[in-house]
Amino acid sequence: MTKVAELPDLNRPGNGLLVPLFRFQSLFGLVLVFIAAVVFSPTRRGELVFLDSGNLFNVVRSMSEIGILAVGMTLVVLIGGIDLSVGSVLGLASVGVAVLLTGPGFGLVPAVLLVLAIGLGFGLLQGFAITSFGIQAFIVTLAGMQIARGLARIWSGGQGVSITYGGGPGQAPVVFSLLGERTFNGLVPIPALIFAVVAVLAVVLLRVSAFSRHVYAVGGNEKAARLSGVPVKRVKIIVFGLCGLLAALAGIVHAGQLNFGGPNDGAMYELDAIAAVVIGGTSLMGGRGSVVGTVAGALLVGVLRNILALRNVDANVQLLVIGLVIVLAASLQRMRPASVS
Amino acid sequence: MDAQAVSSLVELTGVGKSYGGVAAVREVDFSVRAGEVHALLGENGAGKSTLMKILCGEVGGYHGRIRIDGDPVRFSGPADAQRAGVAMIHQELDLVPALPIADNVFLGREPRTRVGTVDRRRMQRETAHLLDRIGIGLDPRRPVESLRTGEQQLVTIAKALSFEARVIVMDEPTSALSAPEIDRLFTVIGELRRAGAGIVYISHRMDEIGRVADRATVLRNGSVVAEFDARAMTARQASAAMVGRPVESVFRAGARGAAGGELLRVQDLAVRSRSPGRRDPAGISLHVGRGEIVGLAGLLGAGRTELLETLYGVGGRPTGRILLRGEEIRPRGPRAALRHGIAFVPEDRRLAGLALDHSVLANTVLSIVDRIARIGVVPRRRERGAATEVVDRLGVKRASLRAPVGSLSGGNQQKVVLGRGLLTDPVLLLLDEPTRGVDIGAKAEIYRLLGEASSRGVGVLLASSEPAELIGVCDRVVVLRNGRAVRELDTATTTEAELLAFSMGEGAVEGLVAGGTP
Repeated sequence: MTKVAELPDLNRPGNGLLVPLFRFQSLFGLVLVFIAAVVFSPTRRGELVFLDSGNLFNVVRSMSEIGILAVGMTLVVLIGGIDLSVGSVLGLASVGVAVLLTGPGFGLVPAVLLVLAIGLGFGLLQGFAITSFGIQAFIVTLAGMQIARGLARIWSGGQGVSITYGGGPGQAPVVFSLLGERTFNGLVPIPALIFAVVAVLAVVLLRVSAFSRHVYAVGGNEKAARLSGVPVKRVKIIVFGLCGLLAALAGIVHAGQLNFGGPNDGAMYELDAIAAVVIGGTSLMGGRGSVVGTVAGALLVGVLRNILALRNVDANVQLLVIGLVIVLAASLQRMRPASVS
Repeated sequence: MDAQAVSSLVELTGVGKSYGGVAAVREVDFSVRAGEVHALLGENGAGKSTLMKILCGEVGGYHGRIRIDGDPVRFSGPADAQRAGVAMIHQELDLVPALPIADNVFLGREPRTRVGTVDRRRMQRETAHLLDRIGIGLDPRRPVESLRTGEQQLVTIAKALSFEARVIVMDEPTSALSAPEIDRLFTVIGELRRAGAGIVYISHRMDEIGRVADRATVLRNGSVVAEFDARAMTARQASAAMVGRPVESVFRAGARGAAGGELLRVQDLAVRSRSPGRRDPAGISLHVGRGEIVGLAGLLGAGRTELLETLYGVGGRPTGRILLRGEEIRPRGPRAALRHGIAFVPEDRRLAGLALDHSVLANTVLSIVDRIARIGVVPRRRERGAATEVVDRLGVKRASLRAPVGSLSGGNQQKVVLGRGLLTDPVLLLLDEPTRGVDIGAKAEIYRLLGEASSRGVGVLLASSEPAELIGVCDRVVVLRNGRAVRELDTATTTEAELLAFSMGEGAVEGLVAGGTP
């Protein structure tokens, strides 16, 4: 009704160059931020600190937990949902794996599988509540956020659980400490590797699978999807299950990196994950977006934080900058023409 | 009144508007004089609403000229038009359900007290006065959602009156009104007319137009095709102008589908009504043969949509029996229905048919992606092949496979929804108003596809509110009224007028036979 500012007609052939820019908005953003980081990088012994391979991998490592959460969040947002519980589930999983590994008689593999199953089950239950009782995802996962946090504190007795390694009773298998290590000549951090594998799997899933068509369709027009024979409820439950599973995986990585299961850890991570998804160009309305965008969004935030830290910018100012980037990304998305899918 | 002597209150000259290369309104000249009721007629999609939205500032980017009292105007929005004294009563009720009547009437221009708060008392007083004038004694504090649809419609009329508009566009203002309410509305229109207002009256009801209007203009495909003296115009003249010649030829040619054995039999199908707005089936029996196209006729709210939805498994748990190819089925939802070979094309393609942002390809293959997938992976080539085949058969441009379906014309969008259904290889097609808002060319394509499907033995149930379409396309028509099948007609021996009369009720049939035209 009200008059809106005229946007350039991006469907015209002359504006063809703009289309890929919009489609890969976050990738372009990442490149820009990367270039800026190189330009503003401090030097040490004539070398750019930012470009030091150790530093670059640190960026990836620092974003790997958020990145894993954000991949799951992307699926949820694609169906038009939101999952506020992932930070708490991360905390619950970190406590769970720490307690199970340092408790008596649990092997590494059963412990990890059990914790992953808890995350999966938690997500499936949330999906079930959303689809069966018709409550909005925001509310169900807001409740889930409290419940998972509560469970984490009960399970740990309110205290952080330290993980010590060794063969003795109460000690975790040494293999688990690898999560804090680096591989390939001590270069690539294991958490970054896990993040990369998760991202690649998700990209492939969303490219080729029939399931992904259903995911996009549910987000694009739920009613039309249902009438077209898409099992809407099942799709939603599975998506929330996968998101919970990935949150648990992030929690295990978290415990391994810190050698510690923290019942209060992961608070606000859900918002960082949502930020990565939004910067990555996925529409909160559902039906539009990609995991590639999310990964780029997560890395963009990582690079930004890194260069600001390298320049000794105050941590509070960093928050301002990240906030502005979110607004910028969202406004770019609003300008995005319909022809960019 | 000497028409020539009275200058026009509103004058549209050469007004046109296109959406993505499709002209919705072409070079229309249209005028309303002070104290005149000017009826605007046309089929769905003829451009009536677009033309009026242009007049009321809701649609911009048009060409041509609008003058009010001889002064050229170009409104920036509805509020701008309202300030100039132009108001529109919409077909879709534009009220905020949770707000009281008074707040709705004064929405966005609430009167203030001296201290700057909303002057509720004045709002309620003035609203009560307006409601009085229309003859409904409703409490202005009642929330709109607690009113019947007809009462809501009257509230929108009160709202238009409150603008003290000099030009009022009424788009199907009586669709939900009872006979006494209509009389009351006509009295108000008479008062407005005497006060020198000009009224544009859009309606499908010929008897109303004869009663209330002075002039009638007929639009077809966005152009003015005829102008009548409304009081002397007959229903036959008007519908001939509305339908035009081409429609006769768009219906499928050749012999009608000879029934090749029974495909669907419905016995005493009933659903206990879940909500007051729905007209669920209340004991419907009918059958469809292989290769047969059976029409569902009936007025708005007769239960056509609900019957199709029930057969597709989305309309509540029915009692009675549904036999498909002799076997009893109980579709529990779209997936189950599709497995049985039933496909459904819903009434509102934008709301229930398509993900408009998504590509034509994605929308077309949505119902079969999991069927053609191997271990969960969609074979790209097969997917593209299936979509291309359908798109070619439907006459949609192949280049548009990657384009968002929302960028296509209404007709092509509808073909995509139909194509998705056809891709599932159904034995029974359920179609709800498949040609609503679709241009003549696309209509012809859709009818041709239905003919093709039926010649392959597919049975079709087609719900439509266009008598011409039902008679032109179907072998038989079942007339629904109040959730019941009241009549079955052979289209070879039925006229449009008869069909319409049976839809309205038995009494109407006698009136028709006696009076010729209403």
